[in-house]
Amino acid sequence: MPAQPPTQDELYQEAADAYDAALERLARAYEADAEVRRDLLQDIHMALWRSFEGFDGRCSLRTWVYRVAHNTAASHVIRQRRNKSQTLVGLEELESVPDHREGALTADRRHALERLMELVQSLKPLDRQIILSYLDGLDAASIGEITGISPENVATKIHRIKNILARRFREGGCYGE
Amino acid sequence: MASESPPNDRLKSVWQNQPSERIRMSVDEIRRRAEKFQKKIYWRNAREYVAALIAVVFGGFEVWLLPDALMRVGIGLMIAGMLYLIWHLHRRGSARSLPADLGLASSLEFYKRELERQRDLLRSVWLWYLGPLIPGPVVLMVANARTNPDHLRRIGLSLASALFALLYVLVWMRNQRGARRLQSRINELNALEGQR
Repeated sequence: MPAQPPTQDELYQEAADAYDAALERLARAYEADAEVRRDLLQDIHMALWRSFEGFDGRCSLRTWVYRVAHNTAASHVIRQRRNKSQTLVGLEELESVPDHREGALTADRRHALERLMELVQSLKPLDRQIILSYLDGLDAASIGEITGISPENVATKIHRIKNILARRFREGGCYGE
Repeated sequence: MASESPPNDRLKSVWQNQPSERIRMSVDEIRRRAEKFQKKIYWRNAREYVAALIAVVFGGFEVWLLPDALMRVGIGLMIAGMLYLIWHLHRRGSARSLPADLGLASSLEFYKRELERQRDLLRSVWLWYLGPLIPGPVVLMVANARTNPDHLRRIGLSLASALFALLYVLVWMRNQRGARRLQSRINELNALEGQR
């Protein structure tokens, strides 16, 4: 007898178990305010659960989860921008703008994370998705599949990200917790 | 992927190991919230329909009592314009919940679609917002001018009409500026899409 396809609830459970922490990081990168962030994360989980009604396995679970999460978060950014007059920049602009502050030492985790978060939150949604996926350890092909941008373009953007990070952060000794 | 430089490896590690707040919802809780959300939308719609009904009943009563036929037409057009606006906002509000194909659309596709939807709303502000609200006040002003031949009163009405027109033009210009800003963001995304 052929195996039954997983139900909506089972798919959601599997996704939440595997990507819980990644979704939380994603929400943090899209919303600085703790209270609003909590709502955004709940919205992402709800959107994910709803989306599994139409999951047909055409793409991997990971691609599906990241797409739903990023698209929900992008909607949030669009809505927020109508209320706040916030200027977001692209990687290209960020690469050409010199950062006058001294590069944060990667050994100081807390400081490095704060600087990193600040940088991520200043980016336009699509560039933000690329840097987030890069920091989450995804390769260019996977990032391309999620964002819809060609792997060559993703590679160019990752090259920019590396330049920006190298300029803004410098290597330290051991991590101080 | 090629091996990373040590600072980038460290940054990835900093990123991936950031402290977690452990916000997690059970499937039952999500289901409850989804139902609550649906109920909220239902009640919001019900409130809007009741408000529209009250406006029609009271407005209709006012129209009935007015002695001047042109005034009656003016108030009637104002009510019709407002009803159209409420209907349009309601239609927009229903579309505000996220689309079902979130997992099928790539980020580029989804983001572009959202921006285009907003741009089209701003561009068509005459059709759904400003336009329907014009005929009522215009007819009322004409009716007022006709029933009040007094010279000073006519000057006052002319000034009010000019202010009314200025306000509409300013709202329209603001929306067109917003649409242009969105279009430049859409163009950026189109360029990115063209490179696929």
